[in-house]
Amino acid sequence: MLEMTSFEVGLNHYLTLSAALFCIGLMGVLIRRNTVVILMCIELMLNAVNISFVAFSRYQANNDGNIMVFFVMAIAAAEAAVGLGLIVAIFKRFRSVDLDFFESLRG
Amino acid sequence: MLENIVFYGLEALVILSALAMISIRSPIYSALCLVMVMVGVAGIFVTLNAYFLAAVQLIVYAGAVTVLFVMVVMMIDLKKNGRSFSKGLLGNSLKAFSVGLIWSLIATSVIYVFSDIGRGDLPKISEGTFQMKELAAHLFTKYIFGFEAICILLLLVIVGTVALSRAKGGTHVRND
Repeated sequence: MLEMTSFEVGLNHYLTLSAALFCIGLMGVLIRRNTVVILMCIELMLNAVNISFVAFSRYQANNDGNIMVFFVMAIAAAEAAVGLGLIVAIFKRFRSVDLDFFESLRG
Repeated sequence: MLENIVFYGLEALVILSALAMISIRSPIYSALCLVMVMVGVAGIFVTLNAYFLAAVQLIVYAGAVTVLFVMVVMMIDLKKNGRSFSKGLLGNSLKAFSVGLIWSLIATSVIYVFSDIGRGDLPKISEGTFQMKELAAHLFTKYIFGFEAICILLLLVIVGTVALSRAKGGTHVRND
């Protein structure tokens, strides 16, 4: 446990940063009520995972993690596009994007 | 020594911007903080020698996705927005406590398992353009099916997004 206090940057620093970013994104999803900001927080969580992919990939000298990051990026961009399209459709219909509004989903 | 300072600077930038993003009320400032986070993450990719991924990160996230967010925020009437945070002090502190618990569990286990892997143990990887060549060779041979699946997914998403935003849409029926 002595190495933990050293300032030398290692794999654990990257993974801890990744976990911290993921948890901040999770916190944002839990406490915010604006749908656009919740989508931003989901993007933040996907990015946090990317950091740990690249860190593992670098420390193992293996390219597979980098390629997974490409896939995650493509899926994140697609998800943002669909989510924002949904938000635009919802706003056109109801003039609001507040989350309280959708708490009772009826058919 | 220098790379440690760079890493800690980037880490502070990323964490502070992320905290600002979830605590600022206005969505447009949240989007700006998201840009700061993405730029910091690109810098962290550079410290990990993933230069191409850093460039892709800047182009795709800071360039495209955030502009999309800002455009949608501009389309939405912000004045009619309700409150920006959930109410209930007990519920919010419970959420903060559980998220903090998750983070501390992950961080403790990571530090326990990986604390002996330092900067000195970095394996040699190929430099410069060879790295990108290896990446491309992997992407177009071993992962070709995933790549094609992503192509089809993006095509579907283009069509689906246009269809969604043109629709009158919604699950609630408004009587007017």
